[in-house]
Amino acid sequence: MFVQAPSGAGGRARDGARERPDLAALAARARPVSSAASRLLPLPAPLAPLFSDRALRRGSTTMVTGAPGAGATTLALTLLVGASRSGSWCGLVGLADPGVVAMAELGLDLLRLALVPAPGGAWAEAAATLLDGVDVVLVRAPGRVGLTAGRLLSARAKERKSALVVLGARAADWPEAPDLTVTVTGSTWVGIGTGHGHLRGRRAELSVTGRRSAGRETRHTVWLPAAAGAAAPLDAGHAGRSA
Amino acid sequence: MERLVALSCPQLLSEGERGEEPRAFLEVVHAVEAFCPWVETTSLGVCTLPARGPSRFFGGEASFVAQLRVAVAEVLGDEEAVGVGVADGLFAALLAARSDEVVAPGETAGFLAPWPVGVLGRPDLAVTLPRLGVHTLGQFAALPTRHVLARFGADAAACHRVARGEEGDLVGLRDPAVARRLRRLDGELPDVTPQAGFFGGVSDADVRAARTLARLQERLGPEAVVVGRLSGGRGPAERARLLPWGSRDADPASAPVPDGAPWPGRLPPPSPVTVLLRPRPAEVVDRADRPVRVTGRGLLSASPQRISVDGGPFADVGAWAGPYPATDRWWSTRRRQARLQVVLDSGGALLLAAERGHWSVEAAYD
Repeated sequence: MFVQAPSGAGGRARDGARERPDLAALAARARPVSSAASRLLPLPAPLAPLFSDRALRRGSTTMVTGAPGAGATTLALTLLVGASRSGSWCGLVGLADPGVVAMAELGLDLLRLALVPAPGGAWAEAAATLLDGVDVVLVRAPGRVGLTAGRLLSARAKERKSALVVLGARAADWPEAPDLTVTVTGSTWVGIGTGHGHLRGRRAELSVTGRRSAGRETRHTVWLPAAAGAAAPLDAGHAGRSA
Repeated sequence: MERLVALSCPQLLSEGERGEEPRAFLEVVHAVEAFCPWVETTSLGVCTLPARGPSRFFGGEASFVAQLRVAVAEVLGDEEAVGVGVADGLFAALLAARSDEVVAPGETAGFLAPWPVGVLGRPDLAVTLPRLGVHTLGQFAALPTRHVLARFGADAAACHRVARGEEGDLVGLRDPAVARRLRRLDGELPDVTPQAGFFGGVSDADVRAARTLARLQERLGPEAVVVGRLSGGRGPAERARLLPWGSRDADPASAPVPDGAPWPGRLPPPSPVTVLLRPRPAEVVDRADRPVRVTGRGLLSASPQRISVDGGPFADVGAWAGPYPATDRWWSTRRRQARLQVVLDSGGALLLAAERGHWSVEAAYD
């Protein structure tokens, strides 16, 4: 079992190294719009280690789960950030009460984000249509998803070379085995006390399983989000330090 | 109203498969700039410049128009390739360019009268007015102003003033994305980010997405497909708006630039990912199960111990912060609101708002 150690040591050496990922991120943003031919969609740096490709694979289905309030919605939205920032369109289906400000803080490009907050009974159809025209579709499953709808959507994602992210209460809500399942197994807010401070960051523990992880469960801890509102790797300083 | 010359190149109005049009149009703009530096690109294939100054310099309006026509024809290699119009105000000038006319000063209303209402570029008016028997701008102009305002709102009233020839400019006549793009082609702006507007999209992805979203709206209704835009405000619900895809306000060009302005009382990031469209009533009680209130001085009457949402079971509060006063006029009694961040023992975090002694859950940090 791989545990990404939350280490606070070696501050000075890390300061220099910390600039490099920023440059890489900048270079990634300056690259032209990712072409449809490319098989991979970029992930934001803190989440890249979760995926064996270090990217979101086109045509794949990723399941995101977690106890209510643990941060599964934030995690699912963060999976879209890399693609959104490099020019891809993203679609959100079934997020009935979207927090648009948080989405912007997480790094999503609002100009290329379409929402279908209340598709009602047509949620699967809405998701299928979106998979035709945008690169990443996030669907909140309304409870347990039937076999037909699940197969249809996974097949559509594969055929259209889009990425499907499913947000569900439990992994069992999706009828077929997804390529990858990411679960928020625990999370802790920091920065808030009893009557003082404010929510600054949430340390979230993630577990990754599935076909694409070679059958091995991996565990990670990330800021989801950190103080600036976006996800951050755990070693990128204490989220509570900067306001 | 400023008198304007408008040039319209019918072959360059939209981008073809080979994408040569923007570059060709840029050459047209350069040729026109030789006459006058104040050339404004309103959309692809269309630009305008002031008529008065250059006309004096180039021997009168007619002579100026003729010289422009020759200069552009030279660039495009075709005399028919450009329409030149002169009229008072941008709206009339653009139409005059379409029909290749010079509209004498003061005759704007008469010139506009026969055009169909669709040229206003307002889909809602273009559908509704003909149903009411109003087909042309002249008929529209003849409607009483206050009726137009009452029935169709402020934007339609602006259109109405334009139709009457009282004003010349209208929101939506310009496509700033095109101007930016030409400047980038010209090397004035660095070509770094794949910046793209979306109406009539600039990148392939934008076009594909636009088509898909339109299809989805046909199926689910226009209100079902929305986009989020940031706006000023304090509470999470006020700081962003959801707008139907394709509506005028959702156009990034018309979006206000968010927000360097400080908003005292605004909570710092991270913001809640779930913002309830309809806040849910909540109860907040202290250790002795007495309701917790926000005092007139903006403090809590006691430490919150447990909360219940929608009359459900009480959950223990692990940590809390606030209250953050959140009123435009804290001293006013009309709307006195305060917000409270709460972390439950279960790990979830909520944003509560108190107003007139009642608590509600406004947002959640899932």
